[in-house]
Amino acid sequence: MRRLFAEKLVLATGAIVILMSLLFAFLRVHS
Amino acid sequence: MRSYTYTVRGTVWLLLYLLFILAPLFALLTSSLPPARGFWTEFSVAIGYAGLAMMGLQFGLTARFRYVTEPWGEDVIYHFHRQLSLIAVALVIAHPLILFAVRPELIALLNSFRAPWRARFAAISTYSLIAIVVTAIWRVKLRIKYETWHITHIILAVVAVTAGLLHMVGWGRYLVSPQKRALWIALPIFWLALLLYIRIVKPLFILRRPYRVSKVRKERGDTTTLVMHPDGHPGFRFSPGQFGWLTLWGSPFKITGHPFSFSSSSEVTDGSVEMSIRNLGDFTSRIHEVPVGQRIYLDGPYGAFTIGNPADMHVLIAGGVGVTPMISMLRTLADRNDPRPAILLYGSKDWESITFREELEELKARLNLTVVHVLRDPPADWTGEKGFINPEVFKRHIPQPYADHEYFICGPTRLMDIIEEALSDMNVPISKYHSERYSFV
Repeated sequence: MRRLFAEKLVLATGAIVILMSLLFAFLRVHS
Repeated sequence: MRSYTYTVRGTVWLLLYLLFILAPLFALLTSSLPPARGFWTEFSVAIGYAGLAMMGLQFGLTARFRYVTEPWGEDVIYHFHRQLSLIAVALVIAHPLILFAVRPELIALLNSFRAPWRARFAAISTYSLIAIVVTAIWRVKLRIKYETWHITHIILAVVAVTAGLLHMVGWGRYLVSPQKRALWIALPIFWLALLLYIRIVKPLFILRRPYRVSKVRKERGDTTTLVMHPDGHPGFRFSPGQFGWLTLWGSPFKITGHPFSFSSSSEVTDGSVEMSIRNLGDFTSRIHEVPVGQRIYLDGPYGAFTIGNPADMHVLIAGGVGVTPMISMLRTLADRNDPRPAILLYGSKDWESITFREELEELKARLNLTVVHVLRDPPADWTGEKGFINPEVFKRHIPQPYADHEYFICGPTRLMDIIEEALSDMNVPISKYHSERYSFV
């Protein structure tokens, strides 16, 4: 389960990085 | 209390990890900017930068910083390292693919004979990353020796990050301002410095603190215990259940150390430590040949697999040589005159191969200890548990309420998966059980 927890952390980290990259592109194009 | 502190510290480190990736990325948006291109082009640039930052931080995850790894456990950190590398590589590969989709004229850059160096570096970095992933996932199938793989892994990682850095600086669209350029050059250099720290600075420190093997003891179950004394220094204190990286032959600069749990009591005050190592056919088959007096090197202690949280009872579940951290815990609890009950569920092949069998009986006189042996190949007159440790065996011997005990699980992956799942089904909170997996690679 700790491993499952680590996997959730990894997925959350990946999702945050992708979302922030989308935000980066949005800010870049719309500012 | 300790698990609360670990949760806070673990969360802080996770936020810092994200900060190290995202802050340099958003720093690119400050001050003067080149004209914006399309949304997907800018997105692909962002994931390229983020992917590179994640690759670099991989060096930090495996740099054995005790303060970072403690809240999670070394095995979770290595798992994190492995899984995150897949995400980082996916981002780095998606970076050119998106660019090729929105600007097909860039596909010509794939021809490394004609492409400028900044594109060649991107190709070198990407191919190195793919090689890292392939060799890490299929190391055993590809029959690559652990030591060879380890050296190759480090070289490929350095090549991937350096080439990524050169590609980024070579393109340099976002790095026109000297501050941004300095930031993005300093970061990869900092990551590579972490590698130098673990491979050069730390071994230098360990070199000055050698140990001597003072006794070699044969144990049941084809296991050998090395008793080691610090040579010219006071040694270190460890918590029962923790482990160290052992270098038996050669200097601490040798690329590959081997992680083993300490098996002695942490209450021993002369600085000596013991490791009990089972012959698994690899280099462990030579442990019994180690002569008394041999100089060895130890890097430790590491690991979050330790007693110390408030608990009404310690439940230790061990398969085979997974008993070594447990014997350290039991010896320590006995030395501390701990009155709390402890139960050891211990899976072994047969009666004769039960490592520490006699000592466990002796410990019952000093501790409120119950030992349940589970034998795969029991003698004809055996009336105890047979087969493997499973949830049924567990429920037969562990009293309720399950959520009040502290659990420690160490053994083959299958055993650990089964017990972790059972504990989860019995609503035991995740903070109450600890497992240690040594299959880092």
